[in-house]
Amino acid sequence: MRTEPIRDQASAEAAEQARTRDEPEASRRSSQSALVRPARSSQALKTGLIFFPAFDWAISPTHPEREERLLYTRDQIFEEGLMDLPQIEEYKPRLAELKDVARVHFCVPDVESKTTEAHLIAAGSTLVLADALMSNQIRNGFALVRPPGHHSMRVVHGNRGFCNINNEAIMVEYIRKKYGMRKIAIVDTDVHHGDGTQDIFWHDPDVLFISFHQDGRTLYPGSGFVHEMGGPAALGSTLNVPLPPGTTDEGIHFVLENLVLPILDDFGPDLVCNSAGQDNHYTDPLANMRFTAQGYARLNERLNPDMAVLEGGYAIESALPYVNTGIIQAMARLDYSHVREPDYVPGRFTQTGEMVRSIESTVNYLLNIWETKDDLISRAKEELGQFYRNRKRVFYDTDMISENQEETVRMCPDCQGYLMVGTQASQGHGRLNTALGVSIPLFACRSCQDDAREEYEEHKQDAKYDFVYLQDRPRDVYRSYHTRTRNERAY
Amino acid sequence: MLIGIDVGGTTTDAALIDGGQVVKTAIGPTDHQDILGCLLRALDKLTSGIDCRKIERVVLSTTLITNLIAEGKQDPVSLVLIPGPGTNPDDYHLPGQPIVLGGAIDYRGREIQSLDQSQVRAAAARIAGQGIKKAAIVGKFCQRNPAHELQAESAFRDAAPQVEVEVGHRVSGMLNFPRRAATTVLTLATRDQYREFAHAVVQAIRNRNIDAPIYILKADGGTLPLDRSEDRPVETIFSGPAASVMGVMALAPAGQTSVVVDIGGTTTDLALILSGQPLLSSKGARVDGMLTHIRAFAVKSLGLGGDSAVRVAKGHLTVGPDRQGPARALGGPLPTPTDALSVLGMAQVGDAALAMKAMQEVGSSLGCSALEASQKVVETSVEKIVREVEQMFLEWEQEPAYRIWEILQKERVRPQNVVGVGGASPALVPMVAERLKARSIVLKHAAVANAIGAAVARPTMTLSLHIDTERGVYSVAEDGSSGEVSGRNLNLQGAEDMARRLLMERARSLGIGEHADEAEVTNSEIFNMVRGWSTVGRLLDVRMEIPAGILPSWGGAGREN
Ligand SMILES: [Zn+2]
Ligand SMILES: [Zn+2]
Repeated sequence: MRTEPIRDQASAEAAEQARTRDEPEASRRSSQSALVRPARSSQALKTGLIFFPAFDWAISPTHPEREERLLYTRDQIFEEGLMDLPQIEEYKPRLAELKDVARVHFCVPDVESKTTEAHLIAAGSTLVLADALMSNQIRNGFALVRPPGHHSMRVVHGNRGFCNINNEAIMVEYIRKKYGMRKIAIVDTDVHHGDGTQDIFWHDPDVLFISFHQDGRTLYPGSGFVHEMGGPAALGSTLNVPLPPGTTDEGIHFVLENLVLPILDDFGPDLVCNSAGQDNHYTDPLANMRFTAQGYARLNERLNPDMAVLEGGYAIESALPYVNTGIIQAMARLDYSHVREPDYVPGRFTQTGEMVRSIESTVNYLLNIWETKDDLISRAKEELGQFYRNRKRVFYDTDMISENQEETVRMCPDCQGYLMVGTQASQGHGRLNTALGVSIPLFACRSCQDDAREEYEEHKQDAKYDFVYLQDRPRDVYRSYHTRTRNERAY
Repeated sequence: MLIGIDVGGTTTDAALIDGGQVVKTAIGPTDHQDILGCLLRALDKLTSGIDCRKIERVVLSTTLITNLIAEGKQDPVSLVLIPGPGTNPDDYHLPGQPIVLGGAIDYRGREIQSLDQSQVRAAAARIAGQGIKKAAIVGKFCQRNPAHELQAESAFRDAAPQVEVEVGHRVSGMLNFPRRAATTVLTLATRDQYREFAHAVVQAIRNRNIDAPIYILKADGGTLPLDRSEDRPVETIFSGPAASVMGVMALAPAGQTSVVVDIGGTTTDLALILSGQPLLSSKGARVDGMLTHIRAFAVKSLGLGGDSAVRVAKGHLTVGPDRQGPARALGGPLPTPTDALSVLGMAQVGDAALAMKAMQEVGSSLGCSALEASQKVVETSVEKIVREVEQMFLEWEQEPAYRIWEILQKERVRPQNVVGVGGASPALVPMVAERLKARSIVLKHAAVANAIGAAVARPTMTLSLHIDTERGVYSVAEDGSSGEVSGRNLNLQGAEDMARRLLMERARSLGIGEHADEAEVTNSEIFNMVRGWSTVGRLLDVRMEIPAGILPSWGGAGREN
């Protein structure tokens, strides 16, 4: 039997039934799947794939983020001949422009010094696929690229959790600016909390960010608790699902079916992205979860993301070749039931009753937040005055940088409000640059736009800062001012 | 003296070259039922009155394999797969109903599931029972460890000795299991008939007292001794287009970037030569609808030729992609580009009055004169070719890349020359060149360019060495040979030295040992295998290549400059 490209919904379902008839239970689409996200209107049939293993780039020779990371994945997917299948179209990466990075990040002192070509290519790969998706060349896309990005926050002083710039966020802001999309959902399926992506979209009610991950009390970066649920005007648009160590396919699929899919259905995004880490795998050396290649494949089948971007995953031999094969197959609607780790035995992992109950109670708690979020937001806004202020500390593990931030967000009745972030960082005994970033959301109201531009002009005289930045998304201009040299430049 | 003979789709052309000059040519029609006869008639025309002892080399290019496959005359082959985990084999578009065996090898060549011997015996019995005489056995990652393929082969020998077996790792060791399966099947399906043909050719040539070595041209533009090609007949597929590209390599300015435009009656074949090196198809040759591991030039065939059907529908002019017969000027049914060229005075074919009448018809449908209609037909044809050439450059620029330097280096390349081969070229190629802002070259020997290309092409070969120092093993992709290596800290220099040694041996076994020193390292990579925080071994990949090229004895005398 051959799997033909799927042409319409009816034949898609017929093909699905034919295909699953004699497959093991584990890979079968759940029969009570009332909540499958409707496919985008796109008539494109293919899955776009960019494979960029950066075989000539590493953080350091023995670092987990090194040349070897996607080597066996390359061998597996090339030997499988996946790129030759009619369901898959391979694309060539390109470099993201500095402007694409500046649209998301305040790189201190500048984008050039915080990125290498490898970072720009990983980010650029997501943009190539975004363009292919938006021009209906492909039905969905998977950027199988390194280095990863989901630990990179809005302000970038250096490398955090193997990440310099946030590939997924760069793609999201690019798509919104270029194609005018507004509501985006990002589901972070990496075992680590996607704290960078959370930080970038914290105040944005139009970006739903859901991260499930191993409990932050037991794993880097030590955040991602249920009470982290977004800024005052965007409460509930950040949802964190900490999971107990040892959570299996069953646990993650429980979260998917009972929390993620219903909420996506309710939110109704224009685009769904999977921040696709693979370190939930039972063999990953950096974490303690029990997820399998079949589990990952089924996750992508059910989530049906428009875009998936590789994040972490460091079991480079025992997991990545199989997990990536499964994800590609699931996205391309190919049969993934033949993907199996060499040592995998069905029923190998089970959850304790305590784990099951803990996951259920987390899911119920978050469902409640989602249902009451509008009340939470109006109450928060009532309590606050014209501005919301918050201080926080950020630690960059790879580069050993400590940063103090103070953010200010205007509580605007007409939009999400412009944001200002003051930052001061130090590395060991050395003091790094101080900076102030002013950020205008793409859909900011007129008065927020004007006021934010004024703030930027005023702070150019502020001796407290070495650099002052303006992210003017409505005008797509990104300014940077060096207070010492009085040089201004724009991306 | 060098002899080249190209038995092409419609004509067989031949050239005799002496001292870097074309001294004699012959052209005749091709009879697909008698390829050997065509070849020998051309040879006899060239060699009449020549001292055959002075012939140094005879190179052939033929459509034999292409025809066998196009006409469905291959021998039946059963495909047996050992796919292990991964893709459902049903998702590959492989011929017949492959038999699937249990057993698995991983990407490092480690056995992860042993071969199911009872399934192997059952498969052998089933194939023998069906009366099929040939079986291709192909395992995923068996190029990294051939154990399962070899076990299965020997089980077949015991259980079904009458079935001829070929295994995947001996056919190709490049990554890509379905392409390897397809290539192995095609190899078995054509090998006997090819061998018979090759023997007949040798016999006939020796009967004519020609003792010179006989070569065949491969799809990658390289020559291989005819007897050595018997094991790998599929490599000779598409040798016609390869001959035409090699002809341009021989006759056009060396080292430049050229578009090869071969306009025939039905189709136009396009190929690119980038800075003197023909572009290879990144996915291998597509044969019988399947991608293979056969290295072949990236040749695009466009449904546009001198005899293409010209039609007007709803005021819109189309040229091709079909051919309904010869030009109107030659009594054909529909107006054609040849008729248009005749009206414009750019070609003299058949009855000019009939051509004029054809173009008047086109003109009346378009509401213009016959002259204007002819110009439109030519413009439309040129436009089609130009668009396709631009698409080829774009596709080349967009080929996937996996390393930073590849992405940074690839610059936009534009053609310097448009080189015309084939009948309708002299009229159309200058216009194509003008549109592409390139120099137009119409070769003086255009009619026998293929034969010249074959005569002066040098051998090609590749050698891809993969070394895993932790497991202490190496393998060579091209012939599936493998062995042990010692030393976990083997460096790139050591690996390259080893590759050079292996290449030398392989070149000798292919009968092209004298060219081994022309090989260059085209890629070499080293990966440290880090487990925990320490290095436990290395993976090294070295690729060496003798790329397509022209024998030095050809010199520059025959070239345009
Ligand atoms: Zn991670
Ligand atoms: Zn506002």
